[in-house]
Amino acid sequence: MALLLKTTRFVESQIDTFLDIVSDSATTFQLAVEDYLAGRIEQFEERLAQIREFEHRADDLRVSIERFLYERTLIPENRGDVLAILENTDEVIDNIKDSLLQFSIEMPQIPEELDDLWMQTTRASVAAVEQLVFAVRSFFRDLSAVNNYIHKVYFFEREADHIGERLRRQIFGMEIELSRKSQLRFFAIHIEKISDAAQNVCDRLSIYTIKRQL
Amino acid sequence: MIFIYLLSGLFLGWSLGANDTGNIFGAAVETRMLKFKKAALIASIFITLGAVLEGAGPSGTLGRLGSVDALGGAFTVALAAAITITVIVRLRIPVSTSQTIVGAIIGWNYFSGRLTDYGSLVTIASSWVVAFVLSAAIAALLFYLVKPWVNRSKTHLLEQDLMIRYALIVVGAFGAYSLGANNIANVVGVFVPVSPFKDISLGGFYTISGIQQLYLMGALSIVVGIYTYSHKVMRTVGKDLFHLSPITALVALLAEAIVLFLFASRGLYNLLLSLGLPTIPLVPVSSTQVIVGAVVGIGLAKGGKNIRYNILARISLAWVAAPVIAFLISYTALFIIQNVFEQTVQQETSYIFDRISITKIDRDGFNTNALATVNGRSFLTEQAIYRELKDQAGLSRKDITRVISLAEIHLMQVDVPKLIGSGMHRGFSDAELDVLSSLQDVSYRHKWQLKEALARHPEFEIYLNPETEIQKNHNRIVEGKLQTLYRSFKTE
Repeated sequence: MALLLKTTRFVESQIDTFLDIVSDSATTFQLAVEDYLAGRIEQFEERLAQIREFEHRADDLRVSIERFLYERTLIPENRGDVLAILENTDEVIDNIKDSLLQFSIEMPQIPEELDDLWMQTTRASVAAVEQLVFAVRSFFRDLSAVNNYIHKVYFFEREADHIGERLRRQIFGMEIELSRKSQLRFFAIHIEKISDAAQNVCDRLSIYTIKRQL
Repeated sequence: MIFIYLLSGLFLGWSLGANDTGNIFGAAVETRMLKFKKAALIASIFITLGAVLEGAGPSGTLGRLGSVDALGGAFTVALAAAITITVIVRLRIPVSTSQTIVGAIIGWNYFSGRLTDYGSLVTIASSWVVAFVLSAAIAALLFYLVKPWVNRSKTHLLEQDLMIRYALIVVGAFGAYSLGANNIANVVGVFVPVSPFKDISLGGFYTISGIQQLYLMGALSIVVGIYTYSHKVMRTVGKDLFHLSPITALVALLAEAIVLFLFASRGLYNLLLSLGLPTIPLVPVSSTQVIVGAVVGIGLAKGGKNIRYNILARISLAWVAAPVIAFLISYTALFIIQNVFEQTVQQETSYIFDRISITKIDRDGFNTNALATVNGRSFLTEQAIYRELKDQAGLSRKDITRVISLAEIHLMQVDVPKLIGSGMHRGFSDAELDVLSSLQDVSYRHKWQLKEALARHPEFEIYLNPETEIQKNHNRIVEGKLQTLYRSFKTE
């Protein structure tokens, strides 16, 4: 039983570290977009490298948590749910990385007048991810608070969609080539997808929360 | 020979181990909170402890229902119950061991022409209903207490999981202890009046009584049942019948353990008695009914939508069918054992309505005019007397039972060295043994004669019209001692 307590504490710290990484990735993503829009490409590439590192660490942690939960038969009733939450949350980091990677590969020219809306969409998506991290932490430590955070995730996801739509309308209202419009739309949608991924996790999380409640 | 007879009791113990341990650890093992090996070890240790240390209370009640007075009878009764349980368990329905054994004992009563003590039967049967309802109520109450704790808990999910694991082990151990204390009576209770074991002294520090050795053997057979077959039954109870989460499993288990303990603990009984509170009868209740009651209680507390009523109906049907089947098997098996294998399944008893017994019946305030049809006659069975007297005005069934006990011939000779030699003197004080020694070698024809002779001494005094629970309990204790003396001093 002493071994079980030690393992429990260890897995708890791993889950916390995993969520810290998700939160850090979101913040780094916002900083990277700011850098890109300001033309600080070298700094942007550093941030991308950081996020790649985050993604690797998150993957390793997720696999390690998965192994411990199954090998030591911890939380047998909830481990499937917990793993689904972790896997889906991991996809948020993947989305963040993919988005930045596309910036790095394609280096799209973003007209200055789009900067504000671009940043607003980014901030809304990042806020959704940050609230998601709170929601997942609460799922483990304070079940009664989960729904509040889920509500906020949904709010920021809608906000990201709403601003994203305005961004896309503005893109297509501009006097630029259609191919460029299409490319910019692709990037705008990519940013919105980050908040969509956060929402997907929340859809599951709300069901798992009901399951856990007596 | 005696150990061959005991085999059926051990078979019954095995079936109880296989069936009832599932009721305690089924959900914990099936939700993978506890490994089977660990659950089996905990169950084995604590069922044995409960049986040996506190098994005496419920056995007494079962003994009053029908005192199977021959080893062959006890063998057959236990065998009939074990067969019934094994058959129903194989149908994947959790069966009530208590109800089955009661059905088998009544089968013996009918076969041997004894009158069933309806008072004890009503006590036992009503306790089943009470145990079911009580268990449901306790489980619902515990659920309401646990619910806010779980929903508002700031404990990490993983730590909560660990706490539930620890709690399942502790409560499971308590449940196993209570099961051992409460249900050992079902396994070897019928052998108590015919126990062949002598006291064993452990270096002069502690003496294991013959009855405790009997309970120990029963407990060991339960352990064998746990290790060989309970895993399958656990699957039935923990998975197929009702899906419980680890927390609700813990609530159900705690409710079950509390109810089993309430109906088994002599210590609690004495405590309630001394506080002047209403007591709970010490009867073997069914762990199956208690766990199903607990699950229904939780289901109702959750709004009643998740109860699988069709499965509940199937289980309830088995509860009705089990004692009936056990009764029929017991009756048939007794017939076969007695007539084909020529074994004694009951002691030859006779009843005589001569001057002495009629005078005693008159003195006890019964209407002797109603006894005109039996006056001067002797009978071989209680049923025969009952048939003669049941239509007589002024005699209730209870009166007839009492009249029969006064007419029963039970030849005895006070023999204190024999009492000591068999180890049955434990439970008697020195003063009581002195009283018995003063009657050494005196012979009696009826049980009431010895009782009257002893009642003249304050040590064996009985309240004629007990009013308080304390007086009733005093009478029960003295009656228990007298039963021991009737058996020990019996002469052929």
